[in-house]
Amino acid sequence: MAFRKNQKKKFYQRRKVCKFCADSTLEIDYKDVKTLRQFITERGKIIPRRITGTCAKHQRVLATAIKQARTIAMLPYVGKLG
Amino acid sequence: MRRYETIFIADPDLQEKVQKNLFEKFTNLIDQEKGIIVDVDDWGNKKLAYEINKKSRGHYVCMTYVGTGELVKELERNFRLDDKIMKFMTILLEKEVDPEALKQEIEAAKEASKPADEPSKPAAEHSKPAEKQVETETTAEPESETEKKTDEAEKTEEEN
Repeated sequence: MAFRKNQKKKFYQRRKVCKFCADSTLEIDYKDVKTLRQFITERGKIIPRRITGTCAKHQRVLATAIKQARTIAMLPYVGKLG
Repeated sequence: MRRYETIFIADPDLQEKVQKNLFEKFTNLIDQEKGIIVDVDDWGNKKLAYEINKKSRGHYVCMTYVGTGELVKELERNFRLDDKIMKFMTILLEKEVDPEALKQEIEAAKEASKPADEPSKPAAEHSKPAEKQVETETTAEPESETEKKTDEAEKTEEEN
């Protein structure tokens, strides 16, 4: 049965890997705006981990870092409108 | 003793003298309250992500220091009183800091910044990233093909 299932599923999605797990030298820091920008939308929303592939542990840290950066005006609460 | 990091945004249109006095005031305050300053980082004028007090630029300063909760309270009270400070944020970095170890750390940092510093540490950091980037490039496709083949092999075995 496993064989049939494999045949049906034609679209293989490339497996997403957590960026911070793959590169352990990369640290999540609220001052590092360049890295954080990869994980927010143009409007400034935090991108869910089902899309970015970040693991749960790092997504938690990431979310707080983004919120801290917002507090100190390094990231927007609301991005460009219209 | 705890290690804190405070970032504050000062008014960008201040004259240099006023600015210097302002920053000195807060560093002196930390000394008064028996805190130890580890590092003061002046980032200069930066663009803000959103307007604060109708200003789109701000002067960022980041201070790292060790002290008690009382010190943070006093510091933040002074930030609120001063209208040249547009915004501030304090973050707890470490819950318990050994004062003796801290002194050594500060001295080491001073020595490193003055003359030729030890090359052992930065060299070790640089060697790491090159190795690990390769792992992320592997795709899922080859894996699934091999799975199929093994499945087929199993089926033929069952039939036999």
